[in-house]
Amino acid sequence: MPLYGEKQSRFNTINRSKPRLDGFDKVTGRARFGADFHLPGMLYGGVLRSGRSSARVVKIDTSKALAIPGVWAVLTAKDLDKPVAWSWFCYMTDQVRYAGDVVAIIAAESKELIWRAQQAIEVEYEDLPGVYTLEEALAEGAPVIHEKHPKNIMEDSRYSIRKGDVEEGFRKADVILEREYVTQYAEHAYIEPEAVIAYEDPLDGVMTVIAPVQNPFFTRNYIADALGVKIADVRFRQATVGGSFGGKEESTGLTVGRAAMLARATGRPVKMVLSREDSMLQSAKRHPFKLRYRAGVTKDGKIVAWEGTQIDNSGAYNCQTQFMNPRANTHSAGAYDIDNISTDTYGVYTNNIFSGAFRGYSSPQLLFGQEQFIDELAEAIGMDEVEFRRINCLKDGGRNATGSVLNNVILQEVMDYTVEQTDYQKKRALYKAQTDTEKRRGIGMAISHRGCGLGAESPDASAAMIIAQMDGSVIINSGLAEVGQGLKTAFAQIAAETLGIPYEEIRFPNTDTHNIQDSGITAASRGTVMGSQSMKRAAEKLNLIMRQNAIELHMFANPNDIAGANGIPVEQIQGLPFTAEMLTIQDGFVFHPDYPAYRIPFSIVCKASKWTGKQMSCMEWFIPESCIQDHATGQGTAFPNYAYCCVIAEVEVDLRTGYVDVKNVTASHDVGTAINPSLISGQIYGGIVMGQGYGVTEEVEISKGRVRNQNFDEYIIPTALDMPEMQVNIFECDAGEGTYGSKSIGEPATEAVAAAIANAVYNATGKRVRENPASLERVLLGKALR
Amino acid sequence: MQDLHYLRPDSLDVALDLMDRYAGRIAPYAGGTDLMVQLREHAKKLAHVEYVLDLGHVEELCGITLSDTVIRIGPMTTHTQVSTSPVILEHAAFLAEAASLVGSPQIRNKGTVGGNICNGSPAADTLSPFVALNARLCIRSKNAERTVPVKEIYLGAGKVTLGPDELVTAIEFDRIDGYSTAFLKLGRRKALAISRLNAAVAMKLENGLIADVRITPGCVFGTPDRVEKAEQHLLGKAPSLELFKEAGQLVSEEMIARTGIRWSTEYKKPSIEALVERALMQAAKIEG
Repeated sequence: MPLYGEKQSRFNTINRSKPRLDGFDKVTGRARFGADFHLPGMLYGGVLRSGRSSARVVKIDTSKALAIPGVWAVLTAKDLDKPVAWSWFCYMTDQVRYAGDVVAIIAAESKELIWRAQQAIEVEYEDLPGVYTLEEALAEGAPVIHEKHPKNIMEDSRYSIRKGDVEEGFRKADVILEREYVTQYAEHAYIEPEAVIAYEDPLDGVMTVIAPVQNPFFTRNYIADALGVKIADVRFRQATVGGSFGGKEESTGLTVGRAAMLARATGRPVKMVLSREDSMLQSAKRHPFKLRYRAGVTKDGKIVAWEGTQIDNSGAYNCQTQFMNPRANTHSAGAYDIDNISTDTYGVYTNNIFSGAFRGYSSPQLLFGQEQFIDELAEAIGMDEVEFRRINCLKDGGRNATGSVLNNVILQEVMDYTVEQTDYQKKRALYKAQTDTEKRRGIGMAISHRGCGLGAESPDASAAMIIAQMDGSVIINSGLAEVGQGLKTAFAQIAAETLGIPYEEIRFPNTDTHNIQDSGITAASRGTVMGSQSMKRAAEKLNLIMRQNAIELHMFANPNDIAGANGIPVEQIQGLPFTAEMLTIQDGFVFHPDYPAYRIPFSIVCKASKWTGKQMSCMEWFIPESCIQDHATGQGTAFPNYAYCCVIAEVEVDLRTGYVDVKNVTASHDVGTAINPSLISGQIYGGIVMGQGYGVTEEVEISKGRVRNQNFDEYIIPTALDMPEMQVNIFECDAGEGTYGSKSIGEPATEAVAAAIANAVYNATGKRVRENPASLERVLLGKALR
Repeated sequence: MQDLHYLRPDSLDVALDLMDRYAGRIAPYAGGTDLMVQLREHAKKLAHVEYVLDLGHVEELCGITLSDTVIRIGPMTTHTQVSTSPVILEHAAFLAEAASLVGSPQIRNKGTVGGNICNGSPAADTLSPFVALNARLCIRSKNAERTVPVKEIYLGAGKVTLGPDELVTAIEFDRIDGYSTAFLKLGRRKALAISRLNAAVAMKLENGLIADVRITPGCVFGTPDRVEKAEQHLLGKAPSLELFKEAGQLVSEEMIARTGIRWSTEYKKPSIEALVERALMQAAKIEG
């Protein structure tokens, strides 16, 4: 059902829209982002990119650059023992595989001098043949990008679903339909380009880097790797992050490694801030997919067979394709319960910019195809598409493509509520009958299910630490990072709820890799749902420790005080043993629930604990039950649970110019338990607009591997004026797997929006846009012009 | 990254002196919303620039004046000023509309109409209404003065015929009392959008018939221009959807006649027809 609401909540701190822990600093400008740091003696770092998509460096001469006064270091691949990073990217290379590959790095006194040095480096290249599209890469005899992959197919990214008997399914079908959908490269477009500063910490000489990233530990590995030293000899500290959406992972790691090399080479702090253009050239993009689906349907609306091929363009390097494709595989038949499924998913190398993680991690692409396909299937058998979804969608006890049984599935409830709220079916019919030749309205829907967290992709484990101070304030720490999504706030709420103290007492410093165990990447919408399990566990332990301390400190040893405070005769409790297990901590007080009027402030317990030398802290580790999936068939458990959503979009299309005006979007999301409803709404609003950009205007244009639109004048994200009216519905349900029953929201918020818009455009125009986005040309002409 | 000297004259005479002294090495700064971007991109056409001449404090170049016959706009008048000016809103509403659709509030507060024209982009939003208004540029150098129709200073994308020592000192056009106007812009989003296409129309009706009309489609020709064939077709006739459709087609035919079939023609042809037709409908105050 829609949000239970605070009044019905059984919680004290979670389930409430607490103000962001980092909100005050952000709105007052105190928060420090990567580019805000300046250190004495600091140099600027820069790179020289090849600008070529496939080439070999024949000769590189840096002498003229080094001769410029104020230029302190120019390094090339030859200067490195190991130009290839631990994650198979290149810090620098003389084998150019895409236009953003770096052939030299520079440290100089000013940004202007960096530019001069870039101009002064002389490079002689031998251009090599390249491949840029899936077709070119897969063609017989195509140039090979990585020797290990002679056919340009990334074999370790190949995943399949084999469920039931798809041929038998097709034999039962009354109608068989086959369609192809294509999606584009898209850019994260975070407001803050990558910015890092590397310095030797004056206290201990440890090479330290400050930057905004999603994986502090991953990033730290780049520092150690680049310098060839032990991990314990380097340190990473998280800056405030100005947006990431999956984009501040590997490419920021490379920048961090380069900055550390320059800092060591010069003995001075080095700051590298990417320009927007540099960021567009270097940072991973959302994988373009070519999706081919074929399905068989019976006349009464049951999908009896589903076949699919999902090929993604990975670009020049393997940036997570092999981690992302398992998700694409699990979700290759959408949020539907189909008995017979056969799908294949694999990545292909090209000489383009590499594709990587981007909010959704394949789902926005897949849903763009699948949810249009579902509409097309319904139309092919003459059935209302809502009814068609009702018949086939996942229900309690149903099985998705992985064959595992799903519980607490509220998808149909979410969908029916949204359909009714938006008057979808009436509008859909009304709009279909429009005859206006200038502008027409359209309404479209999409539904999804999304595996929460990392699931079978990799271990979803994390560390958390909690330390009470003598005045009752509490510092928490986690191996996962605040990246703007509100993790600090959610974790602080969870810690406060569990420990039983006010939210305002909690502090959560930025991640420092010296202070806590490597907990992997903050991605996959795993932070709250899984990552905070260790925080809850640590707070539970500390809660018990502090109750124990209260008992040991004789705070509940005097029956007269307890009875007096509660207005009961002392005889009633005389002789009752008060143990830690009987006590509770709530709102910052320790008390026995049966005698609540006698209560000791948490801060008094802390103070007494401190001066008597008692434990006041705890570190915990959490790893969820393993998800095990068979590699050959994809059958098994892919994720601990799934979040469900329905998005309905309404558009107005100018039939004579192809302009798509997104008028309103209604997004309904199952979040399990809403830890912070206000932050959830924020995620959903942002997700809607990001999905709108993906569906209507955003496209990284790549010409022979070169990114053509490198800034926001040409890479068109929605502005404030473009934003639709938005209606958000938060659904809660009982789901045990996540922390306090929570589910993912960061990525669900954006994944189904473009698909709903595409279906709305069809409703308005009667023409399908099977190639994303629905740009002016594609809507008017049915194709892009270049 | 170029080393630049920054010059900030307080009067037109000093400005013209500086233009004369540093001719060939100086670039006027008229808001900077294009210039600064081009400098950052190391644009070839600015490679010779050593001096930047900030005209923001030359009073003679600012403001809008209305006389009995002529409206005069100082080139340093910002888009915000043009779009909110009572004079422009009353006498050339489509120019106010075009200025209001430039970029974003920040760009409109900094960017000027003089800069918009002299930057030489065929996609400049104010260009189409100025051409429809038959606007003239008053141009001065230290020792000379000339007046040129706006459309004649364009040589092609990014190129204008201004001499190395010349400054535009005013944009003038004759009043078009009794005309109604319209400006429509098609971009890829609602703000911060470069015109994919636009259309500016001014129309005078007498006794229900079109007595005069000016049609300027934007982003369709190499250099901005009105489409006389389409205008002639409308004269003396009563406004109607059918008639305006024909005008739209005449505009697209003219586009193809002048620029040939290009990669973008397939899209531009139907779209400019729609824009011209709609702008005419709007100017004639007919509901579409």
